Amino acid sequence: MASITLTVNKKKYTIEADPQMPLLWAIRDIVGLKGTKFGCGMAQCGACTVHLDGEAVRSCVTLVGRAEGQEIVTIEGISDDNSHPLQKAWIEFQVPQCGYCQSGQIMSAAVLLRENPHPTDRDIDEAMMGNLCRCGTYTRIRKAIHRAAEIMNA
Amino acid sequence: MINVKKWVGILALLVVFIFTGSAFTRPFLSGKAAVMPVYGTSPAEGSLAGGSPGNANGPSYRESDMMHGESGIPGRKPALLHRETGKVPDSVLSKRHFLEVYKVLMSPRCMNCHPSGDAPLQGEDSHIHTMGVQRGLDGRGLYALKCTNCHQPQNTPGLHMPPGNPKWKLPPSYMKMVFQGKTPRQLAAQLLDKTQNGGKNKAQLIDHVTHDMLVASGWNPGEGRALPPLTHKEFARQFKLWLDKGGYLPD
Amino acid sequence: MRLKEMIKQPASRGDLDRRRFLQLTGLSGLGLVLGLGWKPGDEEAIVAAAGTTAVNLSAYIIIDSSGTISIMNPQPDMGQGTFQSVPAMIAEELEVTLEQIRIIQTGGEKQYGRQTSGGSNSIRGNYQKLRTVGAAAKEMLILAATQRWKVPVSECYASGGVVYHKPSGKSLSYGELAVEAGRLPVPQQPVLKDPRDFKIIGKNYPRPDVPLKISGKAVYGIDVELPGMLYASVAHCPVFNSKLVSYEDADTMRVKGVKKLVRFQRALGAHKYDAVAVIADTYWAAYQGKLALKVKWDYDGNDVFDTDVYEQTLRELSGKEGTVVHSDGNFEAAFSSAPVQLTALYELPMVSHSPMEPQNCTALWHGKDLLEIWVSSQGADRVKDEIARNLGIPRDNIKVNILFSGGGFGRRLYNDYAVEAASIAREVDAPVKMIWTREEDTQLGPFRPPTFSAMKAGLSADGKPLAFQHKVISPSMGSTLEDKKDTSGESSSMTEGISTQAYELPNMKNEYVFSQIHIPLAAWRSVTSSTVAFAHECFIDEMAAKAGRDPLQYRLDVLLTKDSDTKRLLLKLKEVSYWDRPLPAGWGRGVAQYEFFAGLGGYVVEVSSTNQSGIHIEKVYMVIDLGTVVNPDMVALQVEGAATMALTAAIKSAITFTNGQTRQTNFHNYPLVRINEMPEVEVHIIAEGGPKIKGVGEPGLPPFAPALANAIFAATGKRIRKLPFNINKV
Repeated sequence: MASITLTVNKKKYTIEADPQMPLLWAIRDIVGLKGTKFGCGMAQCGACTVHLDGEAVRSCVTLVGRAEGQEIVTIEGISDDNSHPLQKAWIEFQVPQCGYCQSGQIMSAAVLLRENPHPTDRDIDEAMMGNLCRCGTYTRIRKAIHRAAEIMNA
Repeated sequence: MINVKKWVGILALLVVFIFTGSAFTRPFLSGKAAVMPVYGTSPAEGSLAGGSPGNANGPSYRESDMMHGESGIPGRKPALLHRETGKVPDSVLSKRHFLEVYKVLMSPRCMNCHPSGDAPLQGEDSHIHTMGVQRGLDGRGLYALKCTNCHQPQNTPGLHMPPGNPKWKLPPSYMKMVFQGKTPRQLAAQLLDKTQNGGKNKAQLIDHVTHDMLVASGWNPGEGRALPPLTHKEFARQFKLWLDKGGYLPD
Repeated sequence: MRLKEMIKQPASRGDLDRRRFLQLTGLSGLGLVLGLGWKPGDEEAIVAAAGTTAVNLSAYIIIDSSGTISIMNPQPDMGQGTFQSVPAMIAEELEVTLEQIRIIQTGGEKQYGRQTSGGSNSIRGNYQKLRTVGAAAKEMLILAATQRWKVPVSECYASGGVVYHKPSGKSLSYGELAVEAGRLPVPQQPVLKDPRDFKIIGKNYPRPDVPLKISGKAVYGIDVELPGMLYASVAHCPVFNSKLVSYEDADTMRVKGVKKLVRFQRALGAHKYDAVAVIADTYWAAYQGKLALKVKWDYDGNDVFDTDVYEQTLRELSGKEGTVVHSDGNFEAAFSSAPVQLTALYELPMVSHSPMEPQNCTALWHGKDLLEIWVSSQGADRVKDEIARNLGIPRDNIKVNILFSGGGFGRRLYNDYAVEAASIAREVDAPVKMIWTREEDTQLGPFRPPTFSAMKAGLSADGKPLAFQHKVISPSMGSTLEDKKDTSGESSSMTEGISTQAYELPNMKNEYVFSQIHIPLAAWRSVTSSTVAFAHECFIDEMAAKAGRDPLQYRLDVLLTKDSDTKRLLLKLKEVSYWDRPLPAGWGRGVAQYEFFAGLGGYVVEVSSTNQSGIHIEKVYMVIDLGTVVNPDMVALQVEGAATMALTAAIKSAITFTNGQTRQTNFHNYPLVRINEMPEVEVHIIAEGGPKIKGVGEPGLPPFAPALANAIFAATGKRIRKLPFNINKV
């Protein structure tokens, strides 16, 4: 056990945790933010994606110790009121079905749009292929990312 | 004149080698330990030296790379030494050492991050990395699929988990250092080409393969992954021998 | 203590009351539902989720005096949209908007009857019933207003949760009328709205769960958190039917946070599988404890099962006479004398459901025989049934809280994981959340049954069908899951739809050959149609090819001379896919349809072949025949999803066994289609309204793979008869 200070969504949390614990479980079970999901535990599905200093890190394989001193942003932190362009576009296209993968999808898409405000379909593939969706919302995710880019660039 | 001397020197050395083998070369070289500290000391050396030398092509290095040195044998003419490494060049052995190096470089642990395309490879069969991971400009991935989003500073425990290293990345897009699909000759030339190898001279290349932690991570690949065919130490030694013997390009 | 009392008097452990539950389901803002129900005394039954017996109209609607309108949703949402579409049917007739209502998931209470989302039944099974519920309540509210105002009913109308008196302009909100309305008798035959007046049904109404699901606020089973909760990770044996001999837990107990181990049995259908749970104060500790556990299993001879061998068995059985499930005319004579004979064997594998949310459940025992469950499941009633049956406690002593499901696809019809959590928590003095790993989810089944299909057709010289046979060779769901010894009844479920297509095929004799297996098998989205439709529709294509006819025109002109829904569907597909428009060289298009218990859908798929023998899917057109549609956009989503799932099953994944153990473990070796592989799906809905209403969730699945394979044949001349296949190397 170690005392670890995490900054999640601009708020500081000092937690007692096994430093070998993946960030995912620290965020979910200790910090108590449940929007970040467990899907595979081996960085295959992307459901656990959070931002670590702005990068779309897979929290299921990231040790909690690595996150100390860095800015963690989870789905709960991207807006208070679904006002992020991606959230607006996700609502417009009614993207989610079961919704379980969508936190990760949105966190990945946010990095794409930050680095490429005008993504092509191929850019979207290259950013989003790490996020699985069993329900099959892919074609809507694509449309919604294009739409979010429009909203952002407007 | 120099040209002739050089050829004579090389041929003389070859003749000595062919007819005497390692039994002779070991004492021959031991007297010059400061110059050639590792030559002929490994069991692998015997197997390399024991066979037919094959057909030696002309030297691949430039004349200006060479300088005169002592032969190390009383009464023998001074040998030509490589200016940078100070070693006796030997095209046959050099090429053979590179072929050992090549086996390692083309193993999945090395080649998977030196792909011909812009996607890294995975697994013992070197299939294209799932998730469409891309090299990106700096070799650190693209967008939401940066290498270190999954690859941690250390291996993640468990089978098929992402292997890790603090420096985990691909060669950058402006210097791709492709291994996949390269013949030994092409790969050797690429490694030596400062415009393609990050401006490294031979000493820096040797240092890189010997001490770089990302290179070393090939020998700490995470659970369930096969190791390269040589140990890291042996790989580094063969690499150095390749260069020490002139850095010849295999045929 | 009965459950009702238990809820009124907060339990000593857990202390999770209704208020907390409602907050958990994302419905924050709703206080305890203390308002007035429609029948005096009924509200408590609703609120406490305890057992009144009769299904009554009022049980679905609660209006409290502050005007809050709550609608009960008996159909769990696993992504198929029932969180909107089911309450919509009540709200439409009640004359409230979806923004005005609170949606409360039912918990398996008897008064709501079947509360299972499955069989594409949530809309078609509830359409008349729930509209009637809403209409009856609206009539009672209007009647209450007329009594207060002393005006005739004909002068009043309801809109937006308010009753208006037209001549005077007076109005009363539903909240103001609730008490009086609740005392009125429930009209047995309320007048339903003319569909032309619908404000919600038939519209692309935004779903209330979407804002929750894009902000991390939607609560899934895995997200439940109770005070003092412990976590469980379970060691199961990947070789089915193994016996646990012993385990060595010294290393496990050394993991910091591990509290204890519980040995129990996983109950799946009639099966009981030995297992050990590691209980700890964090999930990570429980999981580490499980990894450190050394279990000695006795495989009991089950470690020799191998898929390759089993497939050979199925191939051999294909020559055997089976149970005749349909016989018309004289197949044998017609086939043997047919000038053109065609035979083919199609092989479809086992697959796993693999919803994104791994199986999990949280259980809390309030005393010795009172149990509360929080779970992602497709059916609260089934959770109760399975736990009651396996743990021997009365059904009414179980309270079930249904949360959003991170995917279901049939997997969450089987609540073995809920029984597991209940079994584990019984031995622990705290609430316990049990979470499976992805590996367990992938390896432990139940799986979709493998089916092989031996096809035969006799054609005349000009290509007309003279004889037809579809023989299914497979193990069955019932025989494995319910351990039925008599397998004669299995033939109908394992030959779903093969004898009831609209095609006019003379001398048709269909058969079923049963094959034993010990692997647990179960329904997977679109059940047996997901496999037998592939054989059926590809073989029809083979017949068309043999006849030298265009495959769509062959179906329309030769096989469907009479009018039918299928014919109409194919004509629509022909139109929307521009079937007659020439394609570039190297391209091909394929068609397939399938009609089965859930409904009717069909696809046209366009592909191009690359010079490296890879296939690229260019475009997908889909027509689904519904009759009536509640939310067209949600239908499109369901079809897009079914196509994606069908594509994964066609080109990616099979579940296979070596040494009795599932080879696949996680998404690296059980891959799913990713975003770059999914083409655009253009969805067309046939819905002219009227009483006919068909299912949505499943009909989009069976015809996709055969349409794809038929397109590949058109593009390359290569016939695919075994799934999955490598689309990059056909």
